Amino acid sequence: MTGSEYIQQISQLQQAVKKDAALSAAELQQKYLGSNGAFTLLAKQITEIDPSDRKLAGRPLNELKNMLAEAITAACNHTTTDTWIDLSLPGEKPAVGHVHPISQAMAEITNIFTSIGFTRVRYPEVDWDWYVFESLNMPPDHPARDEWETFFVDHKPDKKKGQMVLTTHTSNGQVREMERLGKPPIRMINIARCYRRQQDVTHTQMFHQFEGLVVDKGITIQHLKGTLDYFAEQFYGPGTKSRIRPFHFQFTEPSFEVDFSCHLCAGKGCRFCKSGWHEVGGCGMVHPNVLKAGGLNPDVYTGFAFGWGIERTYTLKEGLAIDDIRLLYSGDLQFLEQF
Amino acid sequence: MNILIPHSWLLEHLDVAIKPKKLQEYLSLCGPSVEQIYERAGDSIYDIEVTTNRSDAMSVRGIAREAAAILPQFGVPAKLRPLTVPVVPKPSKKLELPSITENNQLNKRTLCIVLSDIKRAQTPAWMARRLEAIEMNVHDAAIDITNYITHELGHPCHAFDYDKLVATGNKIIITEATAGESFTTLDGETYRTVGGEVVFKDGSGTIIDLPSIKGTANTSVDSSTKNILLLMESIDAKKVRFASMSHAIRTTAAQLLEKNIDPNLATDVLQLGVKLYQEVCDARVASEVYDHFPSLVKPDKVITTSTELLRYLGIEIPLKEAKKMLERLGCVVEIKSDSLVVTPASFRPDLRIPADIVEEVARLYGYHNIPSMLMATPIPINRPADTNFILEQSLKEFLATIGWQEVYTYSMVSEAEATDSGFAINEHLRLANPLTEDKVYLRRSLVPSLVAVLTANPMRQPLSVFEIANVYHPSGPSLPDQVLTLGIVSSDSYRTVRGVLEALLTKLHIKQFSIETTAGSNQAILVLGHKNQVVGTITQQAGITAIQVQVQSLVEHAKSHPVYEPQAKTATIREDLTFGLPKKTAVGALMTELQKLDKRITRLELSTVYNDNYTFTCYYHDPKENLTSDQVAPIRKQLVAAVEQHWSGSLVGELA
Repeated sequence: MTGSEYIQQISQLQQAVKKDAALSAAELQQKYLGSNGAFTLLAKQITEIDPSDRKLAGRPLNELKNMLAEAITAACNHTTTDTWIDLSLPGEKPAVGHVHPISQAMAEITNIFTSIGFTRVRYPEVDWDWYVFESLNMPPDHPARDEWETFFVDHKPDKKKGQMVLTTHTSNGQVREMERLGKPPIRMINIARCYRRQQDVTHTQMFHQFEGLVVDKGITIQHLKGTLDYFAEQFYGPGTKSRIRPFHFQFTEPSFEVDFSCHLCAGKGCRFCKSGWHEVGGCGMVHPNVLKAGGLNPDVYTGFAFGWGIERTYTLKEGLAIDDIRLLYSGDLQFLEQF
Repeated sequence: MNILIPHSWLLEHLDVAIKPKKLQEYLSLCGPSVEQIYERAGDSIYDIEVTTNRSDAMSVRGIAREAAAILPQFGVPAKLRPLTVPVVPKPSKKLELPSITENNQLNKRTLCIVLSDIKRAQTPAWMARRLEAIEMNVHDAAIDITNYITHELGHPCHAFDYDKLVATGNKIIITEATAGESFTTLDGETYRTVGGEVVFKDGSGTIIDLPSIKGTANTSVDSSTKNILLLMESIDAKKVRFASMSHAIRTTAAQLLEKNIDPNLATDVLQLGVKLYQEVCDARVASEVYDHFPSLVKPDKVITTSTELLRYLGIEIPLKEAKKMLERLGCVVEIKSDSLVVTPASFRPDLRIPADIVEEVARLYGYHNIPSMLMATPIPINRPADTNFILEQSLKEFLATIGWQEVYTYSMVSEAEATDSGFAINEHLRLANPLTEDKVYLRRSLVPSLVAVLTANPMRQPLSVFEIANVYHPSGPSLPDQVLTLGIVSSDSYRTVRGVLEALLTKLHIKQFSIETTAGSNQAILVLGHKNQVVGTITQQAGITAIQVQVQSLVEHAKSHPVYEPQAKTATIREDLTFGLPKKTAVGALMTELQKLDKRITRLELSTVYNDNYTFTCYYHDPKENLTSDQVAPIRKQLVAAVEQHWSGSLVGELA
């Protein structure tokens, strides 16, 4: 068979397929693509034509194949005109569960920080006083400890590391991360459960914090500000700014409080924010004594750290002014299913 | 600590023209945070948060000093007015000062004076108005003066009833209490010492004051008091804190004096006190001033190089500029070549290391004036090996997508919940100071907490919830083993819940797993990997299925991708076989056995269960050749024979 004869047969089949538009998908399948189907047979014959013409014939054969596929797809979608479908019926939704809002916030926070080179870590939630307080420049009985309503575990203290406590903040990860890495670069994000001995509409005995720690040569307040601005913009939306104000923590020097500009009024002041800013948490430049406790030389390295409550940070998002924070840990499905 | 400062009172110490709103803004950006302004009786009252390291700012004068340092940075001319308190006049009457036995270890300074013929008068209106504005109770002038001068200048003081002191022998011995001594505070509460509190005692060993914390009833001012001893002491801050915390007496005086208030401030307080007692109560100075101040407290010099400033700020601040800022904060500053040599004021014991000086310069320069940029330093690549947060998140997403609800429940549980975990109550870690009875023990199982969620949502049936959280297993003298656990609890059918677990493992590309049961037990175990590691349990009880799996072992065994298997070149034959099985047949075990009959049975699935009839879908496949029905027939026969002989079942229908 010559190439042109072959191509002619292809075009005859194309006409036939057009005429068969009313056939069902199965009928089309059988007639053309079955083991004795017209296309199958024709396709086999391509080996019989002159090799120099084969290339020429290949393309129309492919077109025919596509045409068949389309015809079969179209046939599948045929609806018989006598079946009436009520398009006004409500849909039947699949059962969809919910990732807890705190998990959602954690995932978002993790993504934001990992995309600027932070490593997420996990450290003990039940830890020694050394990591939670003493290595953070807070010797036993220091008045600064009053700010943390600490739960103590009824357990014999460790000779060197002191009492066993429930972590009151994620800052226990600071010296632990320095110990893990041995030396900078350190860019840590530690997200964990924390515990404080207090309970009301804005406090739960268990809550969550995320802690950032960056230590290296040449880390300055500018980098802290840059990180805060980056987070604000990513987490609360474009245009959100951060601001640091003087504060005091034993484990940072200088220490700051962090505010984010209100995304509702862009910092002008509204009913939601009152002053144009929302206070979120604390941060500062790592205190030389903390670097020393972690085995790093404060004359060589500087660093910054921040640690904020996830609940507070998350509920500042537009529409999430949850009036009773305890709902988060109540297991109340009516509440959780909203998220 | 928060302090209330009326604007008008502040202006007595601060020479400035500024609107309260502006002062609030500027002070908050560079100094103590002015949280709110209240309008009271025609005055603006600032509500200011002073951080614990800055007890020097816990007074009208202290805030004025801060404002005088900060406002010029914003182009607002402001000056701290000089303090004008008259020198104490010579006594016009002679009453004997108490004999004081000092203890230089426990007390840095004692300063006192006897004032006599106190007229017990109403607090004058101007003073009462201010005290009310700062939410202090108004008593009478003799008492209120002490509160007033403390608030104005920041060093607490105490007025003793001089005659009561005389009655006890006119002696003050500064000493440590031994355990078990009794004292009654001026409000009538009786305490027993724990030992080690610094107290004042009389000659007979009776406690006559809990200095720096609260007066005792036996020497304090009452309505009959006519003569007073106005006294300021400077007890060791740690000792103040110890006594205050031991007895939970958290007075303003204690909260200030436990934070190293500068003893030098006492002089001004005494002078102002004498002036006010004279003016308001017609008091007479009845003794010389007693001042025991053995070692003037002098702060150490702090040397800060310009490199240090640069290292923290990333920008250069001329040392001359820094010097001016620090001087406005009361420091004495010299520039020596490349360094600032700073001698802090005695009221700033918090300025000890270069970083402290950096903070002062930086905040006055204005944090808002420092640029913002991300780090250009190397990114660490060493992530902890035992965590996989991406996997944890995808577990959550998977379970939520198939209709399950994630919950967060408390790590601490009640005694009943702890017992329900299957571990004895004394095998739990317990909080030494729980806040509520329902949160006392560190849980060893997530199940009781998750079952409680099911119980709390009775309207949802069936309900399936999960949580990823630590359980805490005691570990001798060490920290507990904190085992991250995936807990799954559902009131749905056992098959459904187990199916979810199987689907989850498949999703994680964990091929090697088995769920092993023991006859007569309602608990099965999940076994993973070649080493047959037990990594979880499945429990069925009262219609609730509970699964716990160690997340760490999932991390170990999970794969990010499957092992690719080439498409089969030969066809698979699939057919359904239905068997009637006796009650209580372990179908799982039966299936395992059937699959072993012939290696060409590549898969066996339970498709439907109807009464005692079980329909299995059998897959036959031979990688070498396409199986024919003639080849399948003997395999099928073997299957049927095995069910009939070993499991007393019978095929439903005819054998082909």
